[in-house]
Amino acid sequence: MTEPLGGLRRTLPLAFVAIVAVGTLVGIRLDLGPGAGPAPAATSLHADLAELGRGRVLVGFDADIGTYAEIRPAVRAALAQLVRGGATISMVSYTPEGRALALAELDRLRRGGVEPGRLLDLGFHAGAEAGLVAGVSSIVPREADGALAAALRDAGAGIGAFDAVLVVGGNDLGPRSWVEQVATRLPEVAIFGIVPTSLLPQAVPYRASGQLAGLVAGAREVAAYVAAVRDDPTTGAVQGAAQVTDEPPSSLPVLVGLLLTLVLLAEAIASRWRAPARGGAA
Amino acid sequence: MRRSIPAALVVGVGLLLLLDFLVVNPTLGAISGAIVELVVILFAAAAVLGAILLAVRHAGALALPGGDRIGSALVLVGMAIVLVPGLMATDGAAAPSVRWVVGALVVPIGASLLALVAVFLIPAARRGMRLRPRDTAVILVAACVVVVLLLPLGGDVGAALGDGATWVLDVPLRAVFAGLLIGVSLAAAVAATRFLFGLAGTDD
Repeated sequence: MTEPLGGLRRTLPLAFVAIVAVGTLVGIRLDLGPGAGPAPAATSLHADLAELGRGRVLVGFDADIGTYAEIRPAVRAALAQLVRGGATISMVSYTPEGRALALAELDRLRRGGVEPGRLLDLGFHAGAEAGLVAGVSSIVPREADGALAAALRDAGAGIGAFDAVLVVGGNDLGPRSWVEQVATRLPEVAIFGIVPTSLLPQAVPYRASGQLAGLVAGAREVAAYVAAVRDDPTTGAVQGAAQVTDEPPSSLPVLVGLLLTLVLLAEAIASRWRAPARGGAA
Repeated sequence: MRRSIPAALVVGVGLLLLLDFLVVNPTLGAISGAIVELVVILFAAAAVLGAILLAVRHAGALALPGGDRIGSALVLVGMAIVLVPGLMATDGAAAPSVRWVVGALVVPIGASLLALVAVFLIPAARRGMRLRPRDTAVILVAACVVVVLLLPLGGDVGAALGDGATWVLDVPLRAVFAGLLIGVSLAAAVAATRFLFGLAGTDD
């Protein structure tokens, strides 16, 4: 016997995707974006990166392709803040996915008008955590040229030549690996992190212990950090890569998704209650 | 004898790296640096070998009757789409063609696959509610609470959610994960010690 609601049930996943997509579009159109709720971690990262000024910052870019969309607004806001402050940005990756995304971000910075002398592509380093350890003594590749590469070589050519590290996590090599492999060898280099919600639980203990100098994780802190950089009163009108153009994810599709989940679960519970009742009647 | 050689190697390398960590000595530093370089080269070689074996396996599967020829062809075409532009360009992965492949194909496909998790989670949750209602309900309620707490909302509601999220992160979650990290580290240390002293089972 055909289930009366079988067709409807089969189309529910499609309806779910359609509602979330429409919700996202409507959210963007009606400016129903997130309010930047309180997030001390985001305020703290904003203040710490501002203090770096014209320092040398190493970006350990090992985001995951699937979850990068969640943290992309914060990553781009952090890069914009570093560009505004006059910092030099060197990017290194220890995962192929991270390397692909890092190349795209470097390209975006170049197109955004950042002077070539302030950017350095340190490339992909093999060896996962062993590669990280090797980077402590040598991270600048032989083929790297320019004033920034020369200055880094003069300062030792390792991770210790940088004033701070910003780890963009998502893959296996996230802030945890950096703390374990690098912070123990170079405690004087401050390590900051931006990670998706999935890495939040494993990164939080390191933030609480102070081994991570700063951490922004999850949609709430991403939204708060983007707002802090965008609305920074100390910087005047900015252009190009110093601008914050990415909007953090809207809450609307999440709320719609939650609502749909609750409806489906209620339906599952109701059908479970109905089943014994039918059995009893038979 | 078979077991003693790798064990001796592990002990020697481990002690060298540990000593380099504790003692500042240029010779020791050079030796441990060389060992780390060797591990990096091994990692890279393993990755290249893995890719070659994958290609050979799927190329072989194409010739076999009854195999998943479409799947194997897709794997090989996918590898070629990423590899060929990179190998043809002088600047490798930084070539515009590779960046286009990544930006226009790999990233959207990867993000879409992850987004599908949300769709598949709902039928899984429904099935779970029918099979193991109590366990599933606990998981779902916890997941919903975390999602709501992490919602980036403004105003009074956002402030209340933010306070709740901060407490959850700083107290229960931190305690659980700090405990997990410490536990995993201790377990790894014990397992390593058992291996070094030859106390591990024959299947280790």
